[in-house]
Amino acid sequence: MSTAQSLPALAADFPAPQIAYSALSPMVAVFGAALIGVLVEAFAPRRARAGLQLAVALLGLLGGLLAVGLLAGTREVTAVGAVAVDGPALFVQGTVLALGVAAMLLLAERSLESGGGAIVAQAATVPGSADERALVGTDHLQTEVFPLAMLAIGGMLLFPASNDLLLMFVALEVLSLPLYLMCGLARRRRLLSQEAAVKYFLLGAFSSAFFLYGLALLYGYAGTVSLPGIAAATQVTASNDGLLYTGLGLLTVGLLFKISAVPFHSWTPDVYQGAPTPVTALMATGTKVAAFGALLRVYYVAFGAIRWDWRPLLWVIAIATMAVGALLAITQRDVKRMLAYSSVAHAGFILTGVVAATRAGLAGSLFYLLAYGFTTLAAFGILTLVRDADGEATDLSSWAGLGRRSPMVAGAFAILLLALAGIPLTSGFTGKFAVFSAAADAGAAGLVVVAVVCSAIAAFFYVRVIVLMFFNEPAADGPTVAIPGAFTSAALALGVAVTVVLGVFPSPLLKLADQAALFIR
Amino acid sequence: MTTKDVVFGALGLLACCSGVLVVTARNVIHAALWLVVTLGALAACYLLLTADFVAWVQVLIYAGAIVVLLLFAAMLTRAPVGPGQDLDSGNRPAAALVAGGVGVTLVTLLVQAFRSAYVDLDRVAGTGAGRPIGDALFRSYVLPFEIASVLLLAALVGAIVLTRPEIGRR
Amino acid sequence: MNQLISTSPLSLPSRAPVAATEATVSTFGHDPWWLILGKVVAVFVFLVLITLFLIWAERRIVARMQQRLGPNRTGPFGLGQGLADGIKLALKEEIIPAMADKPVYFIAPIVATIPAFLAFAVIPVGGVVSIFGHVTALQVTDLPVAVLFILACSSFGVYGIVLGGWASGSTYPLLGALRSAAQVISYEVSLALALVPIFLYAGSLSTSEIVAAQNRFWFVFLVPSFVIYMVSAVGETNRAPFDLPEAEGELVGGFHTEYSSLKFALFFLAEYINMTTVSAVATTLFLGGWHAPFLLSRVPVLNSGWFGLVWFTLKLLTVLFGFIWLRGTLPRLRYDQFMRLGWKLLIPASLVWLLLVAAMRTLVVEDVNLRRNLVPVGIVFVVLLLLVSFWPSSKKPDRDGEGEDGHPEIAVGNRAFPVPVLPGEQTDPTLAPREVTRA
Repeated sequence: MSTAQSLPALAADFPAPQIAYSALSPMVAVFGAALIGVLVEAFAPRRARAGLQLAVALLGLLGGLLAVGLLAGTREVTAVGAVAVDGPALFVQGTVLALGVAAMLLLAERSLESGGGAIVAQAATVPGSADERALVGTDHLQTEVFPLAMLAIGGMLLFPASNDLLLMFVALEVLSLPLYLMCGLARRRRLLSQEAAVKYFLLGAFSSAFFLYGLALLYGYAGTVSLPGIAAATQVTASNDGLLYTGLGLLTVGLLFKISAVPFHSWTPDVYQGAPTPVTALMATGTKVAAFGALLRVYYVAFGAIRWDWRPLLWVIAIATMAVGALLAITQRDVKRMLAYSSVAHAGFILTGVVAATRAGLAGSLFYLLAYGFTTLAAFGILTLVRDADGEATDLSSWAGLGRRSPMVAGAFAILLLALAGIPLTSGFTGKFAVFSAAADAGAAGLVVVAVVCSAIAAFFYVRVIVLMFFNEPAADGPTVAIPGAFTSAALALGVAVTVVLGVFPSPLLKLADQAALFIR
Repeated sequence: MTTKDVVFGALGLLACCSGVLVVTARNVIHAALWLVVTLGALAACYLLLTADFVAWVQVLIYAGAIVVLLLFAAMLTRAPVGPGQDLDSGNRPAAALVAGGVGVTLVTLLVQAFRSAYVDLDRVAGTGAGRPIGDALFRSYVLPFEIASVLLLAALVGAIVLTRPEIGRR
Repeated sequence: MNQLISTSPLSLPSRAPVAATEATVSTFGHDPWWLILGKVVAVFVFLVLITLFLIWAERRIVARMQQRLGPNRTGPFGLGQGLADGIKLALKEEIIPAMADKPVYFIAPIVATIPAFLAFAVIPVGGVVSIFGHVTALQVTDLPVAVLFILACSSFGVYGIVLGGWASGSTYPLLGALRSAAQVISYEVSLALALVPIFLYAGSLSTSEIVAAQNRFWFVFLVPSFVIYMVSAVGETNRAPFDLPEAEGELVGGFHTEYSSLKFALFFLAEYINMTTVSAVATTLFLGGWHAPFLLSRVPVLNSGWFGLVWFTLKLLTVLFGFIWLRGTLPRLRYDQFMRLGWKLLIPASLVWLLLVAAMRTLVVEDVNLRRNLVPVGIVFVVLLLLVSFWPSSKKPDRDGEGEDGHPEIAVGNRAFPVPVLPGEQTDPTLAPREVTRA
């Protein structure tokens, strides 16, 4: 063979890249479970698929959690500088994985609908067609939603750990694309669901384009896409500031879209409302946590040196986000939309922690993300329980007097709402206190004042729902509260328990967040 | 000003003009064809910059496959393939304003940033050839590259979920 | 540009020394302008001549296979038939449909033809020769990514078909065009994948270097690649049995139904040149290019220079004969069968094969002791194969009389339905076909 001699030579000057798979093990576990899920979809008989898929997904997620636990304390950059496994990354990954377990349980609940769960029987059938009507009452289920959810969660794990913008972009797409799809898979009100999916897809693709453009400009500025590389460039050169600031701005647009901060929030209520509620729960918690993880890394690692330039910008956005979220939530007549606007407002509260740009701000943001995630997930989980003939009854008026019919569910919901409002002895209060005090210490007292005012406004509409549930007469044809199955019960119990425990006894987690709050640079 | 500069400028102009025609064409198919011209002109620019691998991949993937798929989709669906007025909406002036603004901003920005930049093509020749690209893909950016395959898998699964009915089978 | 690349530190390390008659990428880029022009014209003439010859050959060969004579009136053996057909086509009346989209209608045949010619520019048809004192390779040019260039050209050619079908403003051509687009996109994947093992072995994408790498062994020993490439090539060129875009029974004439005169001739030309190009690529990448076959390659005179042109042409014609043979032998596939073949057989098969080849290359490159390590792997593989083949089938019998691919099964052996007589079958002597008489 005349070429046999030349090939070893080729291999010699092309050494394989070093990748520490142990540091990537949470991602490997989740992506591996997703791939197994795809294979299950291809080879397992239909009857066995739903159970098998859930088992594979939970194994993957719990394996990932275990890996995060074992990795605790690791500070390592691997995969040729593309991935940084450090405290904040692991904290966010752990949070996302735990939220993923709960969301997966919600997704797997099949006792609420007639056998099918919240996910469509067959996405390819035309809404309103005879095929669809024939399938809606059966136990058919589009089980591909499990591997898709796992792929999205995998992207969420990678997003906050990305140490270069290119990987961050790919991770952004990996977490977004399955979510676009899953938004369109609601079993009931399918046109609304499909509209939500298209809306999310178009706007999401648009925001990804912003991110990519920002990436390109920053590459033009720094000559590298790695975050430490960009940080080094901001410290050395004073030229080409136009590229730096425009790139940073465009990059920020892409990130702010994912955390649904004003003015990039307008998709949030429509998409949250249209998507199947378990998917909304995953979107409102996992995506937001992961996106904040990435946002924190971008701002703290790459642009830490120029924080005096971006802090005013984020200051304005945080105020706008809190105000718009809180004020618009008041006007909502739909519980799901109200929760969507509440998630917008919470993005603003967490941004106050980002604005602090200190270690305390980072720790506070991490704590807040975990607390907010569990509370919101459980709140969306309760939405799946309140049903009438058309499926979930999300109209605010139909929730009147719910506390008299079903004190358990209404009581749990009240606790969650109080936590979202930030009432003491709940996790929400601890979280708000952590980020606000960090911001105040960092000299953003004005922002904190605005944030406290907005919290008060927001508390108004949370408390209004509680009043409605407990002190109003139930409507005659009001919705019923379904008995949650084991999966939903487990997810709700987890959410409520975390909410209460973190309110009463927050110090261990606060300490953990404080220990974790150090980016590797 | 060498011949290369003149050709490069002409190709750039061609790419820009056909780009404008992509947006203003009244016929979806014509728009797609102008897109082919734009992408082809860009590929020629890459060639002039001695990035021949990138150039031919651009022709193969973008001009040769993606736009064909676009045409395919336009012809298979009930999209109007003849000349239609409904390609435009009343937002045309606003869109033109935004696009023009973005264009002017970016051009100003890039001109300002790279006005004095000078790249000696003889020295960097081959950075767009197969070997350095492979080196970048499989070493420096191996993880994004591999994760992109996960992304494609998700898209694949999603496409099947959205389009393939399985009523009563199995 | 080629000069630049060969001098840059990033270019390929110098390969094992090869004979001076072998070209590499660095051989190109030194020709004077008249030589380049001459080569371009020569390739053009070569392709047109091959096309004229093919038209005649196809009709004669198919006729022979069908026990007919074929065209034998124009010139010796009817050799002038291709030329006569061409002149007739050019002089025909030009009809442009009223509904046609005029500019696109005009451009489409040109778009179909030009890439077909272009791709041939990187095909080496012979070794290094001396023309009027200039040492040059018998190849218009070469690129470090020449095979990519060929693929790009072939993928561009599909525009001619799609646009021709669309611009005609008629239903059948549009359907034919869409079929063609789907077909080319589908088969291009397996075609390109089938070539990757070649790159792994040759370590280059340049055609001249791939030919040089076949100095001693032809890459046809990568049999699965070759088979997949040939099947995909037939699909890619819309030739029988994969000529679905122009299935007369379903689509009248296919994408060029509404074309006449010179424009139709261009489409016709493009189709034949495409066939020539894929055959030339097969020759170059799998059959040793212009190298002399087997033992003759030991004779240096026969294995270099102008002799290469002879070997190349002979190999090219052999592959082209295969195309004609297929057309004369096989019935056209149904569209879904065709797509299934592409997506469910060719692409997975080429992926698995690529994986195997890559694994083998890695083992060789990493210098693994093959005998010690591969024997256990082989045993495991054989055991797995046996397990799979003897695994009790869990497939239920078909319920509603539907066959594997979902269309009704016809009871075999039921002579109530008028079916052709199978060889060796006893039949009613009164119904026996009469002896075919030769014309």
